[in-house]
Amino acid sequence: MNPKRLAGMTLGVLTAMGGFVDIGDIVANAETGARFGMSLAWVVVFGVLGICVFAEMAGRVAAVSGRPVFDLVRERLGAKVGLANLFASFFVTFLTLIAEVAGVALALQLATDVNYLLWIPLVGILVWLLIWRVRFENMERVFGLTGLALVVMAVALWKLSPDWGDLFHQANHPAVPRGEGRPTLAYFGIALFGAAMTPYEVFFFSSGAVEERWSRRDLVLNKANVFIGFPLGGFLSLSLMGLTATVFKPRQISVDHLSQAALPTSVALGKVGLALVIVGIFAATFGAALETALSCSYTVSQYFGWQWGKRTAPRDAARFHLLVIVALLSAVLIGLTGVDPIMVTEYSIVLSAAALPLTYIPILLVANDPDYMGERVNGRLSNVAGSIYLVVLVVVSAVTIPLMIATGAGS
Amino acid sequence: MSPSSPERLRLGLQLLDRQIVDREDRIAGKVDDLELTEPGDGGAPVVTAILSGRGALAHRLGGRLGRIAEALSRRLLPQETEDGRIEWDDVVSIGSCVKVDRDRDELATATVERAVRTAFIERIPGSGKRGTDADQ
Repeated sequence: MNPKRLAGMTLGVLTAMGGFVDIGDIVANAETGARFGMSLAWVVVFGVLGICVFAEMAGRVAAVSGRPVFDLVRERLGAKVGLANLFASFFVTFLTLIAEVAGVALALQLATDVNYLLWIPLVGILVWLLIWRVRFENMERVFGLTGLALVVMAVALWKLSPDWGDLFHQANHPAVPRGEGRPTLAYFGIALFGAAMTPYEVFFFSSGAVEERWSRRDLVLNKANVFIGFPLGGFLSLSLMGLTATVFKPRQISVDHLSQAALPTSVALGKVGLALVIVGIFAATFGAALETALSCSYTVSQYFGWQWGKRTAPRDAARFHLLVIVALLSAVLIGLTGVDPIMVTEYSIVLSAAALPLTYIPILLVANDPDYMGERVNGRLSNVAGSIYLVVLVVVSAVTIPLMIATGAGS
Repeated sequence: MSPSSPERLRLGLQLLDRQIVDREDRIAGKVDDLELTEPGDGGAPVVTAILSGRGALAHRLGGRLGRIAEALSRRLLPQETEDGRIEWDDVVSIGSCVKVDRDRDELATATVERAVRTAFIERIPGSGKRGTDADQ
């Protein structure tokens, strides 16, 4: 593989770090580990497989036809249903943007002891500056690679030398822990699933493929990105779940602040561990803030057919850039009201779960359309897997809101 | 697919809501609606133009929201600009996008883009430059 191709790998790694290990996954995995041990680990594995199946399709469609996901949404669902999906997707992605900006600010607070509210405007400006000025490829390389610092979480878990047999037993024999109701367990399962399959991951991944001018020659790259990047993200998520399951669950400590996600690593590895995990959380949430800010504008621009993306100068994609600015500014202002970032994160991932089918159905349909794909249409494996996931997505989406009300959002 | 065989095109599935690109493959709006004309001899209606921009989408969406958006775009957009029609004869090819033999800056969809550019984006320093590359 030549260096340029190798560099292309970072798209996958960034999407994995930013899309997989973002504030949503950090919160969901840390909370779930502390409360339910590893009994919901299978949901993470199932979610990783799901995002792999659909991201591979979305990347392939983008490489072969040059069309990103929201083009497909409008084209297949039609103007009306597509518009409904646009409202839902934009809302969920915007909520995630608020959560990521606050997450970056919280990581900075951990490092500096300066209140996160003071960091929020600065984070907003920095995200905008990068989108305005820095080339797509560099942007993703820097944050994708820095995010790899989160591997320290896996090292920390190993260093703590937990009772591995017990962790695996929890994972293999999922049971409802004493004092917890079945609906609550299901609610947290949905949160993990929503965090794993957040729609912005495919918006960003497919738009990124178009931005990097992928063609048929990049289909191998697409597969490598998807099947290395996302499982890596999943592995890190499970490490975090294992950490809080080992450190917090026996002491019945619940996770309700981001600093608690970093604590087990510092228990195991001291200051160096803490520093690395803070750097990792900073990079992953910052990468995700870039991805969600861009995705807010990708969805709208692609629905209406405006020039989008960073390949042209901002003046040639005026509406796209205006929307990025408006989304970021609004996210900063809402973040500054002091709204609880953990709560915003929880709502964003659970509502993601409810909005998933409308995004993933058009991808599956177009990946089978020879008009777009020529001979690169889905194989049988992709179609079987895609169909199974769609059934699950529809069921999840139908039960999410009732479950949210019934469990009082998992409290 | 060649546009000269429109009778074999399933309009709803293969044309409506697709991405339009101009003669230089630049993104240039969506196929928001189609203009159908009944020929004088009473035959089947034929597509005579693609409608893009200028409230065409709002008109097709209908409902209260659509009507408001349509009225707004009629009031706000200057009347002397393009009417949002792209003649069927200008359609070059239809595939995963619809290519037309026009310059996107002369299409109706460029009106708002231009307004946003002059009012906001051009006033920010660096708006004319592409992203910098640290490697170069």
